[in-house]
Amino acid sequence: MDNASHLGVVLDLSPKQWHLAAQPSNPHPITLVASLSHLLAFLNAHIACKDENSLALFGALPGKSVMLYSSTMPVNEEEIQPADANTYRPFKVMDSTIMKHIVSEVEALGEPEVEEPIGFVGALTKAMCYINRVTNGSTSSTSRNDDLATLPDPRILVISVSPDQSSSYIPVMNLIFSAQKLKVTIDVCKIFGGESVFLQQAAHLTGGSYIDIDRPDAILQYLMMSFLPPPGLRQLISVPTQDKIDFRAACFCHKNIVDIGFVCSVCLSIFCQPVPVCSTCRTKFPIKTLQRLNASRPNAAPGSAGTPARSSTPARTATPAISANSLPRSTSINPAAVPRVVSNGSAPATSSPMQNGEPR
Amino acid sequence: MKAIRGVVLTCDPAVKQILLTMNEKLSFIIEDLDEHHLVIKADEEWRVRRELEAELEKNTYSLE
Amino acid sequence: MPSVQQASTDSATASEAPSHLLLAFLQSQSQNTLTRLYQRPSSCLSIFRLLGPLERQIVMNLLWLESSIPASTMATWVPHEVRKTYENSLSILSRLHILPQSAVKLALNPTFKTSLRHAIIGGGSSGSFGVPATRDEKHSSPSIEVLDAYALERWETILHYMVSSGIATRPSQGVLFLLQRSGLMASIHGGSLQITSLGFQFLLHSPHAQLWELLLQYLHMVEERQMDLVEVLSFLFMLSTMELGREYSVEHLSPTQTAMLEDLRDYGIIWQRRATSKRFCPTRLATTLTSSSPPLPAAGGVSASAHGQGFIILETNYRLYAYTDNPLQIAVLNLFVTLKSRYPNLVVGAITRESVKKALTNGITADQASRQIISYLTTHAHPQMRKNKPLLPVTVQDQIRLWELEKNRMKSQEGYLYTAFASQADYEYVLNYAKQLGVVLWESSGRRCFFGTLEGHPNIRGFIERRTAGNA
Repeated sequence: MDNASHLGVVLDLSPKQWHLAAQPSNPHPITLVASLSHLLAFLNAHIACKDENSLALFGALPGKSVMLYSSTMPVNEEEIQPADANTYRPFKVMDSTIMKHIVSEVEALGEPEVEEPIGFVGALTKAMCYINRVTNGSTSSTSRNDDLATLPDPRILVISVSPDQSSSYIPVMNLIFSAQKLKVTIDVCKIFGGESVFLQQAAHLTGGSYIDIDRPDAILQYLMMSFLPPPGLRQLISVPTQDKIDFRAACFCHKNIVDIGFVCSVCLSIFCQPVPVCSTCRTKFPIKTLQRLNASRPNAAPGSAGTPARSSTPARTATPAISANSLPRSTSINPAAVPRVVSNGSAPATSSPMQNGEPR
Repeated sequence: MKAIRGVVLTCDPAVKQILLTMNEKLSFIIEDLDEHHLVIKADEEWRVRRELEAELEKNTYSLE
Repeated sequence: MPSVQQASTDSATASEAPSHLLLAFLQSQSQNTLTRLYQRPSSCLSIFRLLGPLERQIVMNLLWLESSIPASTMATWVPHEVRKTYENSLSILSRLHILPQSAVKLALNPTFKTSLRHAIIGGGSSGSFGVPATRDEKHSSPSIEVLDAYALERWETILHYMVSSGIATRPSQGVLFLLQRSGLMASIHGGSLQITSLGFQFLLHSPHAQLWELLLQYLHMVEERQMDLVEVLSFLFMLSTMELGREYSVEHLSPTQTAMLEDLRDYGIIWQRRATSKRFCPTRLATTLTSSSPPLPAAGGVSASAHGQGFIILETNYRLYAYTDNPLQIAVLNLFVTLKSRYPNLVVGAITRESVKKALTNGITADQASRQIISYLTTHAHPQMRKNKPLLPVTVQDQIRLWELEKNRMKSQEGYLYTAFASQADYEYVLNYAKQLGVVLWESSGRRCFFGTLEGHPNIRGFIERRTAGNA
């Protein structure tokens, strides 16, 4: 049980969101610099727990994602201040490397008029790939990496300040499935930016914890108590888990988060409205079913479901979150709304969003 | 009431039977407690151990 | 020392071992000594690393709080089933004076708290992480290979001397004294030093455990040598936080610590160009003191095995092939293997009942001898063996355990048989008293007699005498 553990950290570095988070009008304003000092103390504590613990830090920046630090990174001696007797050198090396990379990345951003969407999925994917490499990678021959090869319960901590991008639903879900396969726990620390439906699901499905921080000034204590213990230890000292999880999914056609979706019975693609042909697997559905489904659609369906507008902030307040014990993927779907399959033979290719009504 | 000084042996029933047989030759048992326990004279312990070892050794076979 | 770790299902590895040896030693020290030790951030960091995972988490939960928190709040974080483990951890921390025992409030020892915070976020001016030496113009710093080779050579000299029973190269006088004091070697009838049964067990341990065993012995001798324990301990901890391949200056060391340099050089823990050099380098033995990475580059591997880690292949038919030419490794194998033939880079042998029995009677007398043998075979298994699951053939593992059980078919314990009680009430009265003392080994109410340990006898006799006197 007392084994080394690997921690991957995905740090959201959206300048716009951090700017908003630091506004004095917030009940608890928090600046990036303050959060980083807490984060570095947390990372040091992770390494302090065990010499063999490893770490990889990835930054999600507008339009891209970068690796900011990893334990296996070669150290550039010249760039680090000379060793002194009052600090533990590995901490100093790590802290200054991280800070230097963050500063250079953020400076390189410049001041564009419109901020590109944050490269969050990319950063999370890189963190996952890194874990895959250290757990399966036997290509390296040094003994240090051989130790890493037997890493038990690796985990990823996501530090998020941005709201969900509904377009990233499919990649995030795929990431969750790979995380489950690799037995990676995903923890989410939400500092700012409202509830994130996808990250809640990610934490829940991988057995991690999702914490919406009420008091950002005490972020270090949250990090220490909830995210420091490796998954194995969490049986002995519990960490907070969510009592409510928003299980809603985003439809494949408009990337909207839907309360009631229509699921293709062949490939399980989700649509916000009944469609005659599944855009993913080209399955054709009978007109009668479509008509019945349309007729049975509740009038109180969320307004966003019908409109093709790519709203990035779905109306969250309208829907109460679904309790944790219900099944993740199917809870968002009205079982009566599932169309029956009549044929799944080849159908004419079409990729345009399905129009309500007549089949082709 | 009386107290008798001795050594309590905890063993399996098979070993106990061997010890009982050994006792017939040269008595060392103070009290036969139950299937798994015997009390023997304290100063006989090492001799008993040695003889038991030799007895058990007869029951093992080696290829070499 | 109670173990704080739950039994893991992994095959026998060093990580299953209970709390660290050193913690037991620290617990026996006075609060004053420990508080002085906790003034140094490097010591706090090292001790923190030696703690079990749950203790570390408890410390971290409390480290950043300015005030104490109610013990009941902390306890709510712990699931009911593991409450005992949690309380055990608290008591370990309190015996180390890291977390003063209190039923109501939990707060870390302020000295420890300040120092560990300094260690983690930097700051302070204690200089406890060692003062790096200024760049030397004449000599460049030794490479890591040089340091590794040095540490290995020193360490193997010691072990080799032990297995050869005093024939191989003699290590320094200080090392010999330490080996004798620790009971690993003894001189019989004033003759040359011979390895003891404790020494045999020692050889089967991992280098990490061996190192700490010797260092603990060193710590026990500290007072006799009129050295300051805190200075000695903090120097060891400072070494453990130093960087491999960096040179440090001796100028800021206390006189005690300067005196230690020579001893540590003999053990291969530090490297110096000359005995009078003003700078020293920690070797891998030092920098891995508080971690579990291998302290020697290739544990005993000047041999042919390229990766240096594993060299043993064990087959289901009990045959054992060891790809090594290292006399030390061969000598250790000879403890529990019947060696048959020897080639330049290979030793062939078999694990037999006789060889295991010999090990059990000669040297490896601990209760869990089979565990030691199996763990030695596991840690030194050839990379080819690593493909097998489980690593060692189950038949062989089980057989070694069975052979050990065979040795222990009979257990004995000295004591007194209490019998011929006047009445059942009388019997129960005395038995109850003996049970409260916890000295009853066997009882039978039907036969009205019980067997108590030797230690309990004076008390029981006194009890009966008082009672008889009272009745009379």
